Amino acid sequence: MSDPWQECMDYCVEVTKRAGQVIRDALQKDIDIMEKSSPVDLVTETDQKVEQLIISSIREKYPSHSFIGEESVAAGAPSILTDNPTWIIDPVDGTTNFVHRFPFVAVSIGFTVKKVIEFGIVYSCVEDKMYTARRGKGAFCNGNPIKVSGQQDIKKSLVLTEINFKKDVEQFNTMMNNVKTILTIPVHGIRSPGSAAINMCLVACGSADAYYHMGIHCWDMAGGAAVLTEAGGVIMDISGGPFDLMSRRLIVASSRAIAERIVKEIKEFPVGRDDQ
Amino acid sequence: MADPWLEAYNFAIEIAKKAGEIRRASESEIKISTKSSTVDLVTATDVRVEKIIIGALKEKFGDDVFIGEESASKKGACILTDEPTWIIDPVDGTTNFVHGFPFVAVSIAFAVNKELEFGVVYSCFEDKLYKGRKGQGAYCDEESIQVSDNKDIKKSVIISEFGTDRDRSKVKKICSTMERILLIPVHGIRGTGTAATNMCMVARGSVEAFFEIGIHCWDVAAGAVIVQEAGGVVCDVNGGPFDLMSRRMMCANHADIANRVIKEIEIFPSDRDDHLHIVNPYQAFKLLL
Repeated sequence: MSDPWQECMDYCVEVTKRAGQVIRDALQKDIDIMEKSSPVDLVTETDQKVEQLIISSIREKYPSHSFIGEESVAAGAPSILTDNPTWIIDPVDGTTNFVHRFPFVAVSIGFTVKKVIEFGIVYSCVEDKMYTARRGKGAFCNGNPIKVSGQQDIKKSLVLTEINFKKDVEQFNTMMNNVKTILTIPVHGIRSPGSAAINMCLVACGSADAYYHMGIHCWDMAGGAAVLTEAGGVIMDISGGPFDLMSRRLIVASSRAIAERIVKEIKEFPVGRDDQ
Repeated sequence: MADPWLEAYNFAIEIAKKAGEIRRASESEIKISTKSSTVDLVTATDVRVEKIIIGALKEKFGDDVFIGEESASKKGACILTDEPTWIIDPVDGTTNFVHGFPFVAVSIAFAVNKELEFGVVYSCFEDKLYKGRKGQGAYCDEESIQVSDNKDIKKSVIISEFGTDRDRSKVKKICSTMERILLIPVHGIRGTGTAATNMCMVARGSVEAFFEIGIHCWDVAAGAVIVQEAGGVVCDVNGGPFDLMSRRMMCANHADIANRVIKEIEIFPSDRDDHLHIVNPYQAFKLLL
């Protein structure tokens, strides 16, 4: 029996390429910035334009499908995940990087059916790297198979995480304490590229060994989750339990040993859920 | 009057690219050792590439002085004299190289009368060659580059690295500085993991500032020229003049941004590159005999 979602995925790659081109063109011009929930939560016209392009292109071919897109949600659309085929979209992951032209900016799309991620696409626009993964069929970067590093030893690992301004003092302190704890295990290093989707792909292709983050969204994680899993990586909740797409948090790693060590070392703070 | 260092400059560009190609080719054969700690890494490729760079330069400019990362770790102090001096990091970002994290640079700088004349940084995996000749602007490949024109700290991205020293009190100070910067607030903190590349990020306008305590002269010499030629400023983390051997550096697109960041930096003591430092007690014992 042929793959019912392969056609969707192929179309998704095509749409993503077009979206990526819009972003690359925009990087050549001036960028006006608006603020969302805080002075460091940025959005631009490109975010909105790219999301509209993706949604309208997909709707044209698949009018019965559902959408959870970052900018639509910001405009008031619901973000409840149902069994219906659903496209989970971050049109510009790494908006701060985009605004500043720091080279990690991605289009991220995850496709779910019955709440299971069937495929994921992450297009790192500046690097021109197209990461794709179909459930059960492996992960690829520009058509070449990729896999995690397989590193088991936390003391030989390169860990990704992001640190940012938080209004809540306790959350901010917990975030920074987690960084200090991980650094002094010791690990080889901590890096902050600035895009959740790309961070997941960096672990997927073996360039880093782990990534953890509390406070991101389902649209940041859906595409990368497929790529990481199909590359042989481990994905779980910050508590060590199963990954929950709507939980606004995750740990991904090259091995269970590293993921579980990070679970042990870091402290949680509440981040809410995308479906509340 | 013809540029007396033009030949050297062009040769540096050629050799940086060649070294970068060797590095890209040796990705698969990485054998790792450690230097001052379990996270201060060096590979056989680092040593080999430095030998190739210095070998090529010595063949053409045999009378010049050479300060290179891998040779320095064996000998001790690096003294900068008035002599024409090459300051070389064969791989800036060894940890990245070992992991395949895509920022690894070859950094070559040249100083005469203790003044930096030019700098070349080849970012191997991005395949971008950054260069700056004193008084002639900064370039990435053939395109001229400029620092960002943003003077508002609250709209800035700052690069800050954790470094390789895992001493808890140093980690605490480094993190405390990052915390204060984040709370200004700034748009964000980023890090590529290599000082030379970080400086090029400032030079090309992708971030507004980068500073670090604990780097070496070979990490920042080339970047210092490139940032300045791109219109930026390079100074000490206390706001004073940049001191190449001090093992600390602040660079930014503009003095306003530099000064604002400097206010938040918690400075901790660092050795100087021009002081003799003892790597291990056995070495000290041998020196005493």
